Amino acid sequence: MLNCMPDERALYMTSAGSLKFAFNGLVLLIAALVLAACGESGNKSPETTRESVALFTKNQTNPYFQTIRVAAQAAATELNVDLVNYIPTSNDSIPEQMSQIEDAITKHPSAVVFVPVDSKAMIPGVEKFNAAGIPVINLIDRSDGGEFVSFMGCDDYAVALNTARYLFEKMNGKGNVIIIEGQGGSSNNQKRVSGFKKALEDFPSVKLLASQTGNFQRAMALQVTENLLQAHPQIDGILAANDAMALGAIEALDAANRKALVIGVNGTKEAIDAVKAGKLLATGDCDGFVQGCMGTMAAVRHLKNLPVPKEVIFPITVFNSTNYQGADVPYEQRMCPKWESIVKN
Amino acid sequence: MKYRLIGVALIVLALGLSSHAFATPSNLLNVLRQASLIFLSASGLTLVIVGAGLDLSVGANLGLSACFAAAAIKATGTLSSGFAAGVACGIAVGLLNGLMVTKLRVPPFIATYGMLWMLYGVNYWYMKGDTIYGFPPDFRALGSGDLLGVPIPVYLMTIGLLAGGIFTRYTTYGHEVYAIGANAEAARLSGIPVGSRLILLYTLSGAMAGLAGVIYLARLNSAEAGIGSPLLLPAIAAVLIGGTSLFGGSGGLAGTLIGAIILTLVLNGMNLLGINSNWQPLVTGVIILIAALIDSVTRRHAELHA
Repeated sequence: MLNCMPDERALYMTSAGSLKFAFNGLVLLIAALVLAACGESGNKSPETTRESVALFTKNQTNPYFQTIRVAAQAAATELNVDLVNYIPTSNDSIPEQMSQIEDAITKHPSAVVFVPVDSKAMIPGVEKFNAAGIPVINLIDRSDGGEFVSFMGCDDYAVALNTARYLFEKMNGKGNVIIIEGQGGSSNNQKRVSGFKKALEDFPSVKLLASQTGNFQRAMALQVTENLLQAHPQIDGILAANDAMALGAIEALDAANRKALVIGVNGTKEAIDAVKAGKLLATGDCDGFVQGCMGTMAAVRHLKNLPVPKEVIFPITVFNSTNYQGADVPYEQRMCPKWESIVKN
Repeated sequence: MKYRLIGVALIVLALGLSSHAFATPSNLLNVLRQASLIFLSASGLTLVIVGAGLDLSVGANLGLSACFAAAAIKATGTLSSGFAAGVACGIAVGLLNGLMVTKLRVPPFIATYGMLWMLYGVNYWYMKGDTIYGFPPDFRALGSGDLLGVPIPVYLMTIGLLAGGIFTRYTTYGHEVYAIGANAEAARLSGIPVGSRLILLYTLSGAMAGLAGVIYLARLNSAEAGIGSPLLLPAIAAVLIGGTSLFGGSGGLAGTLIGAIILTLVLNGMNLLGINSNWQPLVTGVIILIAALIDSVTRRHAELHA
């Protein structure tokens, strides 16, 4: 049955959920027929059933998770397992991810790679996987509870700290900066902003003029930067808690004909292009592609009874004009790294 | 209308006194540029609400239109194709909304809420998590450029305001919209073709969302599937803060402009004053409520003494 559910179709089914107002009957009918057909063929040839990995990501809109999905698929293809995607149609929706967990359990994947939409609210969901005896790899955002084979993530605080230090060095250790924060209440945002502020402590001649929220949104970051440019005639550096906001800030600088060095976090393709074009100074990241690969690889290693550490913290890269080339390759053409190159014992 | 201006005046006065950067020509133009984008996305919606309808799909429509416009510009290399694709997408969505509400008699909230999800679905499928970015400077000028020192979106807003004002005040169509909003049944009995007028309103709302999508694209220099979702509530809020009644029959575009300016001033003021990010949602809420309160108190006072 799972042979019939490759990545693309899982994506299609999630969008179909949101199309139901228009062609609900038709879509459900087709989906039911396809599922029925799949189920039948699957039952007839159980010996050909491959291992399957269910990948849970937070939304369809953030390019970062698209990278994770592409990388996870690359690893799955390489390791000859099936990958099934579960993506909430409402961004980061807690109830939707919860019901997707229930759906997944009925299909009983061999293992789960899980990015929780919320570190606390999804604990009951993880416990459902535990109760069903499905091994879970916790990827990117640490869940506050539940049993995991491994947590694999990026230290957001260290990423922000390293990237901010790079900026301040390029500013020769002096000047005025502003911080564009992400969404209040998000733990990623809190870690990144404290990383930025820790770096400020090391550079006493760098002055923080303002730290204002852009909610992780490009449009709002643009608007907030426009406002801050009005308030502060001299801004030398802008630290944004994600790439989309950094790029929004750059649009505001361009429109106002002002110059400042800008850094972001995430290492998205668009940000790498902006680094290449000399518009963005740097973007800090634990390579999303590596994370997507490693999550799936860890799940498969566990299924093969190979050792997986309880915790894997990914290496950090501050992509800048001297080293962006490594990330400047379309994801579809990139290869997963060797397990041993990331996890060293 | 004039009572709402009191709220704006008080906010402007308070900010002028507390921040030296506020009452400068460049910041006031900055506020107008930001307000004009909210206004454009809320202008068609205002007329729909005057007609006692509702369009919850404006944000999603704006987002899809921006993505289609971005793809069209990338595919053809011409700016007019992007413009056409964005506005055509907006019009098509608006027309579908209008047909659902009138011909299929789906309540406006549900019809346009369903449409919102369909548009997200189409957009997620179409964009597949990607971002389309990097547009020519002459296109970007539409969103971030100036003409004679005034931001270009402000001109578009002025055109929208004047055209909308003439439509609502001096055309039979415009009068009919208010009549339908006040009492659709009475309007029908007096011979107004209610269905076709409503279809026109929803189409107009879609067209303006599509246009706003193109302007947002030019301003952001990029389009991603999630671009429109944070823009729905501010658009509705601008309409309602501006005094247009959710029950229809009263209000108008000038009010929506005031609503958009109030929303913009709140963020501008908080940024200029450096209010802690954690307090900003609370401050936003309090100021919106105070603006509404000033409006209702002064209005009641005026009615008592009229």
